[in-house]
Amino acid sequence: MNTEQTLSFSNAALFDYLDRASDAELDSLDFGVIGMDDATQVRRYNRFESAAAGLSPDRVIGHALFTVVAPCMNNFMVAQRFEDAQQDGSVLDDTIDYVLTLRMRPVKVKLRLLARPGSDLRYVLVHRQT
Amino acid sequence: MSAPVEEEYEALLQFMYMAPIGLVQTLADGEITMINPLCAQLLMPLSPDGQLANLFTALEAVVPDLRQRVQDFPDVHGTVCDALQVPIATGQPGRRQSQVLALTLLKLDAERLMAVISDVTQSVRRDRELRQSQAWINTLAIGLTDYALVSLDHHGCVQDWNPSIARITGFTEDQVIGRSLSMFYPEDAISEQRVLDRLHEADRTGWSLDEGWCVRADAGRYWGSCLIAPLHDRDDALTDEHAYSLIIRDVSDRREAAEALLKAVSCDHLTGLLNRRAFVEAVELEMQRWARFPRPLSLVMIDADHFKRINDQYGHAAGDAVLRHLAAGMTATFRAMDVLARFGGEEFVVLLPDTTLEGAEIVAQRLCQLLASQAVEVGGQAVRYTISAGVATMDADVSDFDALMQRADEALYAAKAGGRNRVERWQPALQSAAVR
Repeated sequence: MNTEQTLSFSNAALFDYLDRASDAELDSLDFGVIGMDDATQVRRYNRFESAAAGLSPDRVIGHALFTVVAPCMNNFMVAQRFEDAQQDGSVLDDTIDYVLTLRMRPVKVKLRLLARPGSDLRYVLVHRQT
Repeated sequence: MSAPVEEEYEALLQFMYMAPIGLVQTLADGEITMINPLCAQLLMPLSPDGQLANLFTALEAVVPDLRQRVQDFPDVHGTVCDALQVPIATGQPGRRQSQVLALTLLKLDAERLMAVISDVTQSVRRDRELRQSQAWINTLAIGLTDYALVSLDHHGCVQDWNPSIARITGFTEDQVIGRSLSMFYPEDAISEQRVLDRLHEADRTGWSLDEGWCVRADAGRYWGSCLIAPLHDRDDALTDEHAYSLIIRDVSDRREAAEALLKAVSCDHLTGLLNRRAFVEAVELEMQRWARFPRPLSLVMIDADHFKRINDQYGHAAGDAVLRHLAAGMTATFRAMDVLARFGGEEFVVLLPDTTLEGAEIVAQRLCQLLASQAVEVGGQAVRYTISAGVATMDADVSDFDALMQRADEALYAAKAGGRNRVERWQPALQSAAVR
Protein backbone atom coordinates (compact mmCIF):
# COMPACT_ATOMS: atom_id res chain seq x y z
CA MET A 1 0.00 0.00 0.00
CA ASN A 2 1.24 3.46 -0.75
CA THR A 3 1.63 6.16 1.81
CA GLU A 4 -0.96 8.39 0.19
CA GLN A 5 -3.70 6.11 1.40
CA THR A 6 -3.36 7.77 4.74
CA LEU A 7 -4.57 10.99 3.20
CA SER A 8 -7.56 12.14 5.14
CA PHE A 9 -10.78 13.75 4.00
CA SER A 10 -9.55 17.12 5.14
CA ASN A 11 -6.02 16.95 3.79
CA ALA A 12 -5.02 20.21 2.15
CA ALA A 13 -3.19 18.53 -0.72
CA LEU A 14 -6.05 16.20 -1.58
CA PHE A 15 -6.78 17.75 -4.96
CA ASP A 16 -3.38 16.86 -6.37
CA TYR A 17 -3.74 13.34 -5.06
CA LEU A 18 -7.21 12.83 -6.56
CA ASP A 19 -6.10 14.10 -9.95
CA ARG A 20 -3.26 11.57 -10.03
CA ALA A 21 -4.87 8.64 -8.23
CA SER A 22 -5.77 5.43 -10.02
CA ASP A 23 -9.25 3.95 -9.69
CA ALA A 24 -7.90 1.42 -7.24
CA GLU A 25 -6.40 4.17 -5.14
CA LEU A 26 -9.69 6.05 -5.05
CA ASP A 27 -11.48 2.84 -4.12
CA SER A 28 -9.22 2.40 -1.14
CA LEU A 29 -10.24 5.71 0.43
CA ASP A 30 -12.59 5.65 3.41
CA PHE A 31 -14.76 8.45 2.11
CA GLY A 32 -16.81 8.94 -1.03
CA VAL A 33 -15.28 10.53 -4.10
CA ILE A 34 -17.32 11.83 -7.00
CA GLY A 35 -15.37 13.48 -9.81
CA MET A 36 -17.23 15.45 -12.46
CA ASP A 37 -16.14 17.25 -15.59
CA ASP A 38 -16.85 20.85 -16.51
CA ALA A 39 -20.27 19.84 -17.82
CA THR A 40 -21.16 18.28 -14.42
CA GLN A 41 -21.04 14.75 -15.85
CA VAL A 42 -19.73 12.17 -13.43
CA ARG A 43 -16.30 10.83 -14.50
CA ARG A 44 -15.09 9.16 -11.33
CA TYR A 45 -17.07 7.36 -8.66
CA ASN A 46 -15.25 5.43 -6.00
CA ARG A 47 -16.20 2.26 -4.20
CA PHE A 48 -17.05 3.91 -0.90
CA GLU A 49 -19.58 6.19 -2.54
CA SER A 50 -20.98 3.41 -4.70
CA ALA A 51 -21.60 1.21 -1.70
CA ALA A 52 -23.13 4.01 0.35
CA ALA A 53 -25.52 5.08 -2.40
CA GLY A 54 -26.27 1.55 -3.54
CA LEU A 55 -25.46 2.39 -7.14
CA SER A 56 -22.79 0.71 -9.23
CA PRO A 57 -20.40 3.05 -11.07
CA ASP A 58 -21.76 2.09 -14.51
CA ARG A 59 -25.16 3.53 -13.55
CA VAL A 60 -23.55 6.79 -12.60
CA ILE A 61 -20.51 7.48 -14.74
CA GLY A 62 -21.31 9.61 -17.74
CA HIS A 63 -24.50 10.96 -16.17
CA ALA A 64 -25.18 14.46 -14.91
CA LEU A 65 -24.37 14.67 -11.21
CA PHE A 66 -26.99 17.21 -10.18
CA THR A 67 -29.93 15.79 -12.08
CA VAL A 68 -29.41 12.05 -12.34
CA VAL A 69 -27.01 11.04 -9.60
CA ALA A 70 -27.44 13.43 -6.70
CA PRO A 71 -30.37 15.79 -7.22
CA CYS A 72 -30.23 16.52 -3.51
CA MET A 73 -27.12 18.63 -4.13
CA ASN A 74 -28.75 20.70 -6.83
CA ASN A 75 -29.25 23.87 -4.84
CA PHE A 76 -27.35 26.95 -3.82
CA MET A 77 -25.53 25.11 -1.07
CA VAL A 78 -23.67 22.75 -3.42
CA ALA A 79 -24.33 23.11 -7.15
CA GLN A 80 -24.31 26.90 -7.00
CA ARG A 81 -20.87 26.91 -5.39
CA PHE A 82 -19.43 24.93 -8.28
CA GLU A 83 -21.17 27.17 -10.80
CA ASP A 84 -19.86 30.29 -9.12
CA ALA A 85 -16.30 28.96 -8.99
CA GLN A 86 -16.50 27.98 -12.65
CA GLN A 87 -17.81 31.38 -13.64
CA ASP A 88 -15.30 33.32 -11.58
CA GLY A 89 -12.40 31.00 -12.44
CA SER A 90 -11.69 30.75 -8.73
CA VAL A 91 -10.52 27.98 -6.45
CA LEU A 92 -13.23 26.20 -4.47
CA ASP A 93 -12.40 24.26 -1.34
CA ASP A 94 -15.38 24.38 1.00
CA THR A 95 -16.43 21.83 3.57
CA ILE A 96 -20.07 21.90 4.61
CA ASP A 97 -22.40 19.87 6.75
CA TYR A 98 -25.06 18.25 4.66
CA VAL A 99 -27.62 15.49 4.62
CA LEU A 100 -27.61 12.95 1.81
CA THR A 101 -30.41 10.56 1.07
CA LEU A 102 -28.38 7.40 0.76
CA ARG A 103 -30.83 4.64 -0.12
CA MET A 104 -33.59 7.03 0.90
CA ARG A 105 -32.28 7.35 4.45
CA PRO A 106 -31.26 10.79 5.60
CA VAL A 107 -27.55 10.53 6.42
CA LYS A 108 -25.54 13.33 7.96
CA VAL A 109 -22.34 13.90 6.05
CA LYS A 110 -19.59 16.41 5.56
CA LEU A 111 -19.21 17.42 1.95
CA ARG A 112 -15.92 18.81 0.71
CA LEU A 113 -16.32 20.67 -2.57
CA LEU A 114 -13.17 21.00 -4.65
CA ALA A 115 -12.64 22.87 -7.90
CA ARG A 116 -9.80 24.86 -9.38
CA PRO A 117 -9.23 26.55 -12.70
CA GLY A 118 -7.32 24.48 -15.24
CA SER A 119 -8.19 21.16 -13.69
CA ASP A 120 -10.14 18.64 -15.78
CA LEU A 121 -12.23 17.39 -12.90
CA ARG A 122 -14.03 18.84 -9.94
CA TYR A 123 -14.77 16.77 -6.86
CA VAL A 124 -17.46 16.22 -4.29
CA LEU A 125 -16.06 14.30 -1.33
CA VAL A 126 -18.47 12.67 1.07
CA HIS A 127 -17.52 11.90 4.64
CA ARG A 128 -20.10 10.21 6.81
CA GLN A 129 -20.42 11.87 10.16
CA THR A 130 -20.36 9.62 13.14
CA MET B 1 -30.58 -11.43 -3.07
CA SER B 2 -30.03 -13.12 -6.43
CA ALA B 3 -28.37 -11.13 -9.15
CA PRO B 4 -31.51 -10.08 -11.11
CA VAL B 5 -33.32 -9.04 -7.94
CA GLU B 6 -30.28 -7.09 -6.86
CA GLU B 7 -30.21 -5.38 -10.21
CA GLU B 8 -33.90 -4.59 -10.02
CA TYR B 9 -33.40 -3.23 -6.54
CA GLU B 10 -30.63 -0.99 -7.84
CA ALA B 11 -32.79 0.17 -10.73
CA LEU B 12 -35.61 0.93 -8.31
CA LEU B 13 -33.20 2.79 -6.07
CA GLN B 14 -32.02 4.89 -8.98
CA PHE B 15 -35.63 5.51 -10.02
CA MET B 16 -36.21 6.98 -6.59
CA TYR B 17 -32.96 8.96 -6.72
CA MET B 18 -33.94 10.49 -10.03
CA ALA B 19 -37.64 11.10 -9.36
CA PRO B 20 -38.26 14.78 -10.14
CA ILE B 21 -40.56 15.19 -7.17
CA GLY B 22 -39.81 15.22 -3.46
CA LEU B 23 -41.00 12.24 -1.45
CA VAL B 24 -40.62 11.76 2.25
CA GLN B 25 -42.04 9.37 4.77
CA THR B 26 -42.11 10.12 8.46
CA LEU B 27 -43.37 8.80 11.74
CA ALA B 28 -46.36 10.49 13.33
CA ASP B 29 -44.07 12.92 15.15
CA GLY B 30 -42.42 13.96 11.88
CA GLU B 31 -39.25 11.91 12.25
CA ILE B 32 -38.00 11.21 8.75
CA THR B 33 -37.61 7.54 7.92
CA MET B 34 -37.32 7.70 4.13
CA ILE B 35 -36.51 10.64 1.90
CA ASN B 36 -35.54 10.95 -1.71
CA PRO B 37 -32.88 13.34 -3.06
CA LEU B 38 -35.18 15.91 -4.60
CA CYS B 39 -36.94 16.28 -1.29
CA ALA B 40 -33.58 16.81 0.41
CA GLN B 41 -32.61 19.35 -2.24
CA LEU B 42 -35.77 21.36 -1.51
CA LEU B 43 -35.69 21.00 2.27
CA MET B 44 -32.00 21.41 3.09
CA PRO B 45 -31.94 25.17 2.43
CA LEU B 46 -34.93 25.54 4.78
CA SER B 47 -33.76 23.32 7.60
CA PRO B 48 -32.98 25.49 10.62
CA ASP B 49 -30.60 22.94 12.15
CA GLY B 50 -28.96 21.77 8.92
CA GLN B 51 -30.43 18.34 9.45
CA LEU B 52 -33.23 16.36 7.97
CA ALA B 53 -34.16 14.35 11.03
CA ASN B 54 -37.67 15.73 11.34
CA LEU B 55 -40.00 17.05 8.65
CA PHE B 56 -41.88 19.39 10.97
CA THR B 57 -38.59 20.90 12.13
CA ALA B 58 -37.31 21.26 8.57
CA LEU B 59 -40.49 23.11 7.57
CA GLU B 60 -40.89 25.00 10.83
CA ALA B 61 -39.99 28.40 9.43
CA VAL B 62 -42.37 28.20 6.48
CA VAL B 63 -45.25 26.04 7.71
CA PRO B 64 -45.11 26.52 11.47
CA ASP B 65 -48.45 24.87 12.11
CA LEU B 66 -47.77 21.62 10.26
CA ARG B 67 -47.32 19.59 13.42
CA GLN B 68 -50.54 21.03 14.78
CA ARG B 69 -52.39 20.27 11.57
CA VAL B 70 -51.35 16.66 11.79
CA GLN B 71 -52.33 16.46 15.46
CA ASP B 72 -55.70 18.05 14.72
CA PHE B 73 -56.38 15.76 11.77
CA PRO B 74 -59.30 13.66 12.93
CA ASP B 75 -59.20 10.67 10.58
CA VAL B 76 -57.01 7.59 10.74
CA HIS B 77 -55.83 8.22 7.22
CA GLY B 78 -56.36 10.89 4.63
CA THR B 79 -55.00 14.12 3.17
CA VAL B 80 -53.85 16.56 5.83
CA CYS B 81 -53.02 19.23 3.28
CA ASP B 82 -53.30 19.18 -0.48
CA ALA B 83 -50.83 21.09 -2.64
CA LEU B 84 -50.43 23.79 -0.02
CA GLN B 85 -48.40 26.56 -1.61
CA VAL B 86 -45.43 27.52 0.54
CA PRO B 87 -43.44 30.58 -0.54
CA ILE B 88 -39.79 30.38 0.47
CA ALA B 89 -36.62 32.33 -0.13
CA THR B 90 -33.30 30.60 -0.49
CA GLY B 91 -29.80 31.47 -1.57
CA GLN B 92 -26.94 33.46 -0.22
CA PRO B 93 -27.57 36.91 1.22
CA GLY B 94 -27.87 39.43 -1.57
CA ARG B 95 -28.74 36.79 -4.12
CA ARG B 96 -31.86 35.41 -2.63
CA GLN B 97 -34.27 33.68 -4.91
CA SER B 98 -37.87 33.09 -4.20
CA GLN B 99 -39.40 29.75 -4.76
CA VAL B 100 -42.82 28.34 -4.20
CA LEU B 101 -43.12 24.80 -2.95
CA ALA B 102 -46.29 22.75 -3.07
CA LEU B 103 -46.74 20.47 -0.08
CA THR B 104 -49.14 17.56 0.06
CA LEU B 105 -49.20 15.63 3.30
CA LEU B 106 -50.93 12.29 3.64
CA LYS B 107 -51.62 10.45 6.82
CA LEU B 108 -51.04 6.81 5.91
CA ASP B 109 -52.05 5.41 9.28
CA ALA B 110 -51.62 6.21 12.96
CA GLU B 111 -47.84 5.80 12.76
CA ARG B 112 -46.87 7.04 9.34
CA LEU B 113 -47.09 10.17 7.23
CA MET B 114 -46.02 10.68 3.66
CA ALA B 115 -45.37 14.03 2.02
CA VAL B 116 -44.98 15.04 -1.59
CA ILE B 117 -43.05 18.24 -2.11
CA SER B 118 -42.48 19.90 -5.45
CA ASP B 119 -41.14 23.15 -6.74
CA VAL B 120 -44.05 24.97 -8.39
CA THR B 121 -42.26 28.30 -8.79
CA GLN B 122 -42.62 28.27 -12.55
CA SER B 123 -46.30 27.45 -12.64
CA VAL B 124 -47.05 30.06 -10.01
CA ARG B 125 -45.14 32.56 -12.14
CA ARG B 126 -47.18 31.59 -15.17
CA ASP B 127 -50.38 32.10 -13.18
CA ARG B 128 -49.14 35.54 -12.23
CA GLU B 129 -48.46 36.41 -15.83
CA LEU B 130 -51.88 35.17 -16.75
CA ARG B 131 -53.39 37.43 -14.15
CA GLN B 132 -51.45 40.34 -15.61
CA SER B 133 -52.91 39.59 -19.02
CA GLN B 134 -56.34 39.48 -17.48
CA ALA B 135 -55.75 42.90 -15.97
CA TRP B 136 -54.94 44.10 -19.47
CA ILE B 137 -58.06 42.60 -20.92
CA ASN B 138 -60.20 44.05 -18.16
CA THR B 139 -58.78 47.46 -18.87
CA LEU B 140 -59.61 47.13 -22.52
CA ALA B 141 -63.11 46.00 -21.66
CA ILE B 142 -63.77 48.89 -19.29
CA GLY B 143 -63.51 51.60 -21.88
CA LEU B 144 -62.00 52.81 -25.06
CA THR B 145 -59.84 55.45 -23.43
CA ASP B 146 -56.14 54.89 -23.65
CA TYR B 147 -54.29 53.64 -20.61
CA ALA B 148 -50.81 53.09 -19.28
CA LEU B 149 -49.96 49.74 -17.77
CA VAL B 150 -47.16 49.97 -15.24
CA SER B 151 -45.68 47.06 -13.33
CA LEU B 152 -44.64 47.91 -9.78
CA ASP B 153 -42.43 46.19 -7.24
CA HIS B 154 -43.25 45.88 -3.55
CA HIS B 155 -42.10 49.45 -2.87
CA GLY B 156 -44.44 50.77 -5.55
CA CYS B 157 -41.49 51.48 -7.86
CA VAL B 158 -41.78 51.04 -11.61
CA GLN B 159 -40.22 47.75 -12.73
CA ASP B 160 -40.57 47.58 -16.48
CA TRP B 161 -40.97 49.90 -19.37
CA ASN B 162 -43.57 49.85 -22.10
CA PRO B 163 -44.67 52.50 -24.57
CA SER B 164 -48.12 52.93 -23.01
CA ILE B 165 -46.44 54.80 -20.12
CA ALA B 166 -45.07 57.39 -22.54
CA ARG B 167 -48.40 57.68 -24.34
CA ILE B 168 -50.33 58.61 -21.23
CA THR B 169 -47.76 60.29 -19.03
CA GLY B 170 -45.16 61.60 -21.46
CA PHE B 171 -42.33 60.25 -19.31
CA THR B 172 -39.41 58.37 -20.86
CA GLU B 173 -38.04 55.02 -19.80
CA ASP B 174 -35.06 56.62 -18.00
CA GLN B 175 -37.37 58.85 -16.04
CA VAL B 176 -39.65 56.15 -14.66
CA ILE B 177 -37.70 52.92 -14.12
CA GLY B 178 -37.07 52.41 -10.42
CA ARG B 179 -39.04 55.52 -9.47
CA SER B 180 -42.03 55.47 -7.16
CA LEU B 181 -45.52 55.64 -8.62
CA SER B 182 -45.86 58.94 -6.74
CA MET B 183 -44.12 60.53 -9.74
CA PHE B 184 -47.37 60.25 -11.68
CA TYR B 185 -49.15 62.45 -9.14
CA PRO B 186 -48.77 66.14 -8.31
CA GLU B 187 -45.86 66.76 -5.99
CA ASP B 188 -47.69 66.87 -2.68
CA ALA B 189 -50.57 64.55 -3.52
CA ILE B 190 -49.16 61.24 -2.34
CA SER B 191 -46.43 60.37 0.14
CA GLU B 192 -44.25 57.28 -0.01
CA GLN B 193 -46.08 55.94 3.01
CA ARG B 194 -49.37 56.45 1.21
CA VAL B 195 -47.97 54.49 -1.72
CA LEU B 196 -47.33 51.56 0.61
CA ASP B 197 -50.79 51.98 2.13
CA ARG B 198 -52.36 51.67 -1.29
CA LEU B 199 -50.32 48.56 -2.08
CA HIS B 200 -51.43 47.10 1.22
CA GLU B 201 -55.05 47.93 0.49
CA ALA B 202 -54.70 46.28 -2.91
CA ASP B 203 -53.32 43.19 -1.13
CA ARG B 204 -56.21 43.17 1.27
CA THR B 205 -59.12 43.78 -1.07
CA GLY B 206 -57.77 42.69 -4.44
CA TRP B 207 -57.47 46.22 -5.83
CA SER B 208 -57.11 49.86 -4.94
CA LEU B 209 -58.77 52.44 -7.14
CA ASP B 210 -58.66 56.19 -6.94
CA GLU B 211 -59.47 59.08 -9.15
CA GLY B 212 -57.82 62.47 -9.07
CA TRP B 213 -55.30 64.81 -10.56
CA CYS B 214 -52.29 63.22 -12.19
CA VAL B 215 -49.32 64.95 -13.72
CA ARG B 216 -47.53 64.47 -17.01
CA ALA B 217 -43.83 64.86 -17.75
CA ASP B 218 -44.47 68.38 -19.07
CA ALA B 219 -46.13 69.23 -15.70
CA GLY B 220 -49.53 69.35 -17.38
CA ARG B 221 -52.34 67.86 -15.32
CA TYR B 222 -55.00 65.37 -16.26
CA TRP B 223 -57.75 63.66 -14.34
CA GLY B 224 -56.63 60.08 -13.91
CA SER B 225 -58.31 56.89 -12.82
CA CYS B 226 -55.63 54.72 -11.23
CA LEU B 227 -56.13 51.07 -10.42
CA ILE B 228 -53.55 49.07 -8.48
CA ALA B 229 -53.98 45.30 -8.56
CA PRO B 230 -51.70 42.73 -6.93
CA LEU B 231 -50.07 40.21 -9.23
CA HIS B 232 -49.10 37.84 -6.44
CA ASP B 233 -51.27 35.53 -4.45
CA ARG B 234 -53.11 37.03 -1.57
CA ASP B 235 -51.44 34.65 0.89
CA ASP B 236 -47.99 35.14 -0.58
CA ALA B 237 -46.03 35.73 2.58
CA LEU B 238 -42.85 37.12 1.07
CA THR B 239 -43.52 40.82 0.91
CA ASP B 240 -40.37 41.58 -1.04
CA GLU B 241 -41.63 39.41 -3.87
CA HIS B 242 -44.94 41.20 -4.14
CA ALA B 243 -45.63 42.82 -7.49
CA TYR B 244 -48.46 44.97 -8.73
CA SER B 245 -50.03 46.33 -11.86
CA LEU B 246 -50.86 50.01 -12.01
CA ILE B 247 -53.28 51.01 -14.72
CA ILE B 248 -53.61 54.73 -15.33
CA ARG B 249 -56.38 56.02 -17.55
CA ASP B 250 -56.83 59.60 -18.56
CA VAL B 251 -60.49 60.23 -17.80
CA SER B 252 -60.32 64.02 -17.98
CA ASP B 253 -63.58 64.07 -19.92
CA ARG B 254 -65.24 62.46 -16.94
CA ARG B 255 -63.68 64.78 -14.40
CA GLU B 256 -66.45 67.33 -14.14
CA ALA B 257 -69.12 64.73 -13.65
CA ALA B 258 -66.97 62.84 -11.14
CA GLU B 259 -66.02 65.96 -9.25
CA ALA B 260 -69.57 67.20 -9.16
CA LEU B 261 -70.75 63.90 -7.74
CA LEU B 262 -67.95 63.83 -5.22
CA LYS B 263 -68.68 67.39 -4.16
CA ALA B 264 -72.38 66.79 -3.79
CA VAL B 265 -71.91 63.98 -1.31
CA SER B 266 -68.77 64.91 0.55
CA CYS B 267 -68.16 68.63 0.41
CA ASP B 268 -69.30 71.55 2.42
CA HIS B 269 -71.30 73.71 0.05
CA LEU B 270 -69.95 77.01 1.35
CA THR B 271 -66.23 76.36 1.45
CA GLY B 272 -65.76 73.36 -0.85
CA LEU B 273 -63.80 71.57 1.86
CA LEU B 274 -64.90 68.13 3.01
CA ASN B 275 -67.95 68.01 5.20
CA ARG B 276 -67.95 66.43 8.60
CA ARG B 277 -69.21 63.05 7.38
CA ALA B 278 -66.62 62.76 4.63
CA PHE B 279 -63.93 63.83 7.06
CA VAL B 280 -64.91 61.11 9.51
CA GLU B 281 -64.74 58.54 6.69
CA ALA B 282 -61.30 59.74 5.64
CA VAL B 283 -60.21 59.64 9.27
CA GLU B 284 -61.35 56.04 9.65
CA LEU B 285 -59.17 54.98 6.73
CA GLU B 286 -56.20 56.92 8.14
CA MET B 287 -56.74 55.35 11.54
CA GLN B 288 -56.75 51.86 9.99
CA ARG B 289 -53.47 52.69 8.30
CA TRP B 290 -52.08 54.03 11.56
CA ALA B 291 -53.16 50.94 13.47
CA ARG B 292 -51.52 48.65 10.95
CA PHE B 293 -48.35 50.64 10.88
CA PRO B 294 -48.02 53.56 13.31
CA ARG B 295 -46.37 56.57 11.71
CA PRO B 296 -46.64 60.30 12.32
CA LEU B 297 -50.22 61.51 12.04
CA SER B 298 -51.21 64.96 13.22
CA LEU B 299 -54.35 66.97 13.53
CA VAL B 300 -54.85 70.71 13.40
CA MET B 301 -58.04 72.24 14.70
CA ILE B 302 -58.69 75.77 13.50
CA ASP B 303 -61.21 78.31 14.69
CA ALA B 304 -61.87 81.80 13.35
CA ASP B 305 -61.35 84.31 16.17
CA HIS B 306 -64.30 86.43 17.30
CA PHE B 307 -66.38 85.11 14.42
CA LYS B 308 -69.64 86.07 16.10
CA ARG B 309 -68.41 89.63 16.29
CA ILE B 310 -67.65 89.64 12.52
CA ASN B 311 -71.14 88.37 11.78
CA ASP B 312 -72.71 90.95 14.07
CA GLN B 313 -70.58 93.81 12.77
CA TYR B 314 -70.53 93.14 9.02
CA GLY B 315 -73.46 90.75 8.46
CA HIS B 316 -73.72 87.10 7.54
CA ALA B 317 -72.51 87.62 3.97
CA ALA B 318 -69.24 88.91 5.39
CA GLY B 319 -69.12 85.95 7.73
CA ASP B 320 -69.51 83.57 4.78
CA ALA B 321 -66.82 85.44 2.84
CA VAL B 322 -64.46 85.06 5.78
CA LEU B 323 -65.11 81.32 5.96
CA ARG B 324 -64.53 80.94 2.21
CA HIS B 325 -61.36 83.01 2.51
CA LEU B 326 -60.18 80.89 5.40
CA ALA B 327 -60.88 77.68 3.44
CA ALA B 328 -58.99 79.01 0.42
CA GLY B 329 -56.07 79.92 2.65
CA MET B 330 -56.08 76.40 4.07
CA THR B 331 -56.15 74.84 0.60
CA ALA B 332 -53.20 76.99 -0.44
CA THR B 333 -51.22 76.21 2.71
CA PHE B 334 -51.72 72.52 3.31
CA ARG B 335 -50.73 69.70 0.97
CA ALA B 336 -53.00 67.89 -1.43
CA MET B 337 -52.68 64.72 0.64
CA ASP B 338 -53.88 66.45 3.81
CA VAL B 339 -57.53 66.04 4.65
CA LEU B 340 -59.20 69.45 5.01
CA ALA B 341 -62.69 69.78 6.36
CA ARG B 342 -65.15 72.27 7.75
CA PHE B 343 -66.22 70.62 10.93
CA GLY B 344 -69.06 72.96 11.73
CA GLY B 345 -69.70 76.70 12.11
CA GLU B 346 -66.36 78.48 12.05
CA GLU B 347 -64.43 75.40 13.07
CA PHE B 348 -62.10 73.62 10.66
CA VAL B 349 -59.93 70.54 10.95
CA VAL B 350 -56.95 69.25 9.00
CA LEU B 351 -55.60 65.73 9.23
CA LEU B 352 -51.95 65.56 8.20
CA PRO B 353 -50.67 62.08 7.34
CA ASP B 354 -46.95 61.43 7.77
CA THR B 355 -46.53 64.67 9.67
CA THR B 356 -45.08 65.16 13.11
CA LEU B 357 -46.40 67.50 15.75
CA GLU B 358 -43.62 69.97 14.91
CA GLY B 359 -44.32 69.73 11.18
CA ALA B 360 -48.03 70.33 11.68
CA GLU B 361 -47.34 73.26 14.01
CA ILE B 362 -45.10 74.93 11.41
CA VAL B 363 -47.74 74.70 8.69
CA ALA B 364 -50.45 75.90 11.05
CA GLN B 365 -48.23 78.87 11.99
CA ARG B 366 -47.83 79.70 8.34
CA LEU B 367 -51.60 79.69 7.85
CA CYS B 368 -52.10 81.80 10.94
CA GLN B 369 -49.62 84.44 9.71
CA LEU B 370 -50.97 84.36 6.16
CA LEU B 371 -54.55 85.05 7.22
CA ALA B 372 -53.56 87.73 9.71
CA SER B 373 -51.72 89.58 6.94
CA GLN B 374 -54.67 89.64 4.55
CA ALA B 375 -58.02 91.34 4.44
CA VAL B 376 -61.27 90.05 2.95
CA GLU B 377 -63.11 92.42 0.64
CA VAL B 378 -66.83 92.37 1.43
CA GLY B 379 -69.08 95.00 -0.15
CA GLY B 380 -66.26 97.48 -0.44
CA GLN B 381 -65.12 96.92 3.11
CA ALA B 382 -61.89 95.30 4.12
CA VAL B 383 -62.59 92.80 6.87
CA ARG B 384 -59.63 91.58 8.85
CA TYR B 385 -59.74 88.45 10.95
CA THR B 386 -57.41 86.01 12.66
CA ILE B 387 -57.50 82.37 13.61
CA SER B 388 -56.43 80.24 16.52
CA ALA B 389 -55.25 76.70 16.06
CA GLY B 390 -54.50 73.67 18.21
CA VAL B 391 -52.19 70.92 17.10
CA ALA B 392 -52.01 67.33 18.36
CA THR B 393 -50.42 64.15 17.13
CA MET B 394 -51.15 60.43 17.40
CA ASP B 395 -49.12 58.44 19.83
CA ALA B 396 -49.49 55.23 21.79
CA ASP B 397 -51.37 57.05 24.56
CA VAL B 398 -54.06 58.24 22.20
CA SER B 399 -56.66 55.53 22.19
CA ASP B 400 -58.72 56.62 19.21
CA PHE B 401 -59.52 59.52 16.97
CA ASP B 402 -61.90 61.10 19.44
CA ALA B 403 -59.03 61.25 21.90
CA LEU B 404 -56.86 62.94 19.29
CA MET B 405 -59.63 65.45 18.57
CA GLN B 406 -59.89 66.05 22.29
CA ARG B 407 -56.19 66.90 22.49
CA ALA B 408 -56.35 69.25 19.48
CA ASP B 409 -59.37 70.87 21.06
CA GLU B 410 -57.50 71.38 24.33
CA ALA B 411 -54.60 72.94 22.42
CA LEU B 412 -57.03 75.18 20.53
CA TYR B 413 -58.52 76.26 23.84
CA ALA B 414 -55.04 77.10 25.08
CA ALA B 415 -54.42 79.21 21.95
CA LYS B 416 -57.67 81.09 22.57
CA ALA B 417 -56.85 81.55 26.22
CA GLY B 418 -53.36 82.74 25.29
CA GLY B 419 -54.80 85.69 23.38
CA ARG B 420 -55.87 84.23 19.99
CA ASN B 421 -54.13 84.66 16.60
CA ARG B 422 -51.73 81.90 17.56
CA VAL B 423 -51.02 78.19 17.34
CA GLU B 424 -50.61 75.96 20.37
CA ARG B 425 -49.53 72.39 20.46
CA TRP B 426 -51.01 69.90 22.85
CA GLN B 427 -48.91 69.23 25.95
CA PRO B 428 -49.64 66.95 28.86
CA ALA B 429 -50.04 69.99 31.12
CA LEU B 430 -52.99 71.18 29.03
CA GLN B 431 -55.03 68.19 29.99
CA SER B 432 -55.76 69.42 33.49
CA ALA B 433 -55.86 73.08 32.48
CA ALA B 434 -58.51 72.36 29.90
CA VAL B 435 -61.07 71.19 32.35
CA ARG B 436 -63.70 73.77 31.79
